[in-house]
Amino acid sequence: MDNKIHKVLIIDDHPLISEAYKSAFNYVSKEDKTISFKIEVTHNCDEAFDMIKKFSVNNKKLDIVFLDIRLPPSKDEKILSGEDLGLKLNKLLPNTKIIISTTFNDNYRIHSIFKSINPDGFLIKNDITPKELVIAIKTVIVDPPYYSKSVVKLLRKEVSNDFLLDKIDRTLLYELSIGTKMKDLPKILPLSIAGVEKRKRHLKQIFNVETVDDKELLIKARTKGFI
Amino acid sequence: MKLKVIYKTIAICLLLSIVIQGCHLKKEVKLQQEPINDSISVWMKLSKNKSNSLVVREKFLKKSYETLKLRQIDTVVSRKLSEIAYQFLNINDTINFKSLNEEAYQLALKLKDTFTLADTHWNYSNYYTNRLVYDSAYHHYNKAYEFFESINHEYYAAKMLYNMAFIRGRFRDYTGSEGLIIQAISKYKFLKKHKALYSSYNHLSILQKELGEYDKALFYHKKATEYLNKVREKKGLYESSLNDGGLIYHDKGAYKMAISYFNVALNNDSLKFKNIKLYAKLIDNRAYTKLLNKDSVNIKQEFYEALKIRDSLEDREGVLINILHLSEYYNTYGDTISAIYFGKKANVLAKEIKNNRDYLASLKLLSNLDVRNGKEHLNKYIVFNDSLLHAERKIQNKFTRISYETDEYIEETRILVQQKIWILVTGLGVLLALFLMYFLKVQQSKNERLILETEQQQANEEIYILTLKQQAKLEEEKIKERNRISEELHDGVLGKLFGTRVGLGFLDIKGSSDTLKQHHFFLNELQDIEKEIREVSHKLNNNFNISEINFVTIINQFLENKSKIGNFTYQFNNSEDIAWRRIDEKIKVNLYRILQEALQNCIKYAEASIVILDFSIENRKLVIKVIDNGVGFVIKSSKKGIGIKNIKSRIEKLNGVFHIYSEINKGTTIHFTIPI
Repeated sequence: MDNKIHKVLIIDDHPLISEAYKSAFNYVSKEDKTISFKIEVTHNCDEAFDMIKKFSVNNKKLDIVFLDIRLPPSKDEKILSGEDLGLKLNKLLPNTKIIISTTFNDNYRIHSIFKSINPDGFLIKNDITPKELVIAIKTVIVDPPYYSKSVVKLLRKEVSNDFLLDKIDRTLLYELSIGTKMKDLPKILPLSIAGVEKRKRHLKQIFNVETVDDKELLIKARTKGFI
Repeated sequence: MKLKVIYKTIAICLLLSIVIQGCHLKKEVKLQQEPINDSISVWMKLSKNKSNSLVVREKFLKKSYETLKLRQIDTVVSRKLSEIAYQFLNINDTINFKSLNEEAYQLALKLKDTFTLADTHWNYSNYYTNRLVYDSAYHHYNKAYEFFESINHEYYAAKMLYNMAFIRGRFRDYTGSEGLIIQAISKYKFLKKHKALYSSYNHLSILQKELGEYDKALFYHKKATEYLNKVREKKGLYESSLNDGGLIYHDKGAYKMAISYFNVALNNDSLKFKNIKLYAKLIDNRAYTKLLNKDSVNIKQEFYEALKIRDSLEDREGVLINILHLSEYYNTYGDTISAIYFGKKANVLAKEIKNNRDYLASLKLLSNLDVRNGKEHLNKYIVFNDSLLHAERKIQNKFTRISYETDEYIEETRILVQQKIWILVTGLGVLLALFLMYFLKVQQSKNERLILETEQQQANEEIYILTLKQQAKLEEEKIKERNRISEELHDGVLGKLFGTRVGLGFLDIKGSSDTLKQHHFFLNELQDIEKEIREVSHKLNNNFNISEINFVTIINQFLENKSKIGNFTYQFNNSEDIAWRRIDEKIKVNLYRILQEALQNCIKYAEASIVILDFSIENRKLVIKVIDNGVGFVIKSSKKGIGIKNIKSRIEKLNGVFHIYSEINKGTTIHFTIPI
């Protein structure tokens, strides 16, 4: 095997975590001498984006990006989270493999990240042990993708469901679950109040919920993995 | 009521021209009487019977009077007294008449019996008429008129006017008399008194004749005749009327017409038996008219026939006129001695019976006949005529004064009445205004109170809504804080813990296998801790239905507070189907208040140990039940407390339906539905 140097970018606002990732990469290169890593660490969106641009402009290859979703937003507020950075990466450096590592484990966010970024690795921090982290890195290098346990569970749930929910449905459920008021919904969704009501009735039909209240619907949606 | 008729007769001799004329005026008086006891009525009747001697009649009157004195004083007594007084006058007992009439008058004054007051005045006027004191008679007629008028006794008032007109006519105050008689006529017309109307028009016709207005006199005479035709019992009035008509034509100089009138009257053969006095008058008048018409046939015999009848009747007025006529007859046919003889005789008689007019006529006649004493007679004539005119003018002035006083009195009364009306109207107006003001004030204060109450209620509700909002805000803040803690745990603590764990995992630890095992174990422990923290974070974050929690939370809190105060345990069933967030705040406010009242009852009266509150929804209607296991009460017998009433009124205000069931010692259930 070629002694290849993989260029890695770790984006996480906790130095403790980025340090842990670094340890994981080092562990991998120590185990397999043929693999070595050149690791860069950034702690916020601005630094990360600068770095990505630099790679893109110099036409340099970036092999792996370790991306946290919850990040402090960029100063110009154009990049709000790791998700936005992921989009930029897909656009500027399409060949780079992205490993999402997040504490989120709510189904809606996972689903939406899948849809927008389609990462090569998807790790839920709570699932991860050092061992698993090593496996994940190795798998992504050799044969992506790697999904951690919670992600796999969700995917399985989704596949086994017959429900067909579009993005708006999912957003609506999500917003309801975080307690957004009905009157505020039209500001978030491209719908009128009547439209929201209609969609809600439709969702209740799908989930076979009969109460007027939303609580039942949300509980059902949660068990089915939509939020 | 028994009505009794008394006839009062007044003989008033009539003015009349040089010629003749005596007229009798009969008057009919009805006095109301009660069928009181008795003997008084009987005695009165006996006293009026002219076939009894004056002594007997007097005795009955005195008896009546003495019995009457024993009676309790009232208007019946005063009227009776006046009647007895009048009867005394009729039997010429003027002393008793005067004292009794005065007594009746004073009693009437005391009792304010206007009718008797008028009646006593009438009695006085009769008394003075009999004594030929016409000014006093006139005064009393006038008083009687005022009283009758004031009690609206139109018929008697008209009679008084008629009598007054007669007196004024007697004193040649023709215009005054005319005015009075016209007033009387208008009253009679209204009352449809045909006989009285006949007399009145007849009087009017005579007045016109005296003024020389013969055509007018004839017109009124015709009118009088028309009314006479409507009278059923004419009793010689027809012939009397013909006599009057004849006299008008006589004065006018239409002697032939006059004679034909007298002839028609005399054609009635029975007249001589029925009314011999009128018969004598008619043949005398006819003979005199014939004399003036230069028709001497039989007139001397007729003059003497009339004179003979009048002599036998002691009709002195008639005799006087008769001899004056005879004197003229002899003068016309050249027998001056006989003429002077009768002239002087007439002069003496006229003086005797105080017939001024005929006295003057005789003087005038004598001045022409008696050549030697002609100048003396003429002087006498002039002097007497002057004094007569003077006396007449004086008395006329007196009448005018009395009338004027009456007018003044009437005017004063009118003004007083008007003032009274004004005072009454103003008083009523002021009262009404005051009442209206009071009413408005009451209404206003009522409205104000209502507005205040409404405002209070609104304020209450606003306060409640504010409290709700405050609570909601508090809740929201709580949730926000929870979310913040949840996030902090999730992103901060969890992240750092994760980093630490992974970092620890990659440490190249050297040691015994036990140590390594221990290391691995702790790493797993750390992972479990992470998991727990994550779960806590999720639970903290699991907070949909924020605003829905509010009302139920409030009710829960409220129940808890009350259960502590009332020492009961509670059970609260809130159906998940109720979307409290979408229910009108007003309903919630009222529901809260209703529950307050209901629980107050549970604590205060029911002494319940368990209270169940149940909220559910049925056909878009809130169904609420408050059940307790307290002492209960009998619904029908117990008057509804203010609490129950308030609950009911609040529910009705929300178009809801309210039921209450209760059983002694088993508890009470309040059940109501509110449409949403």
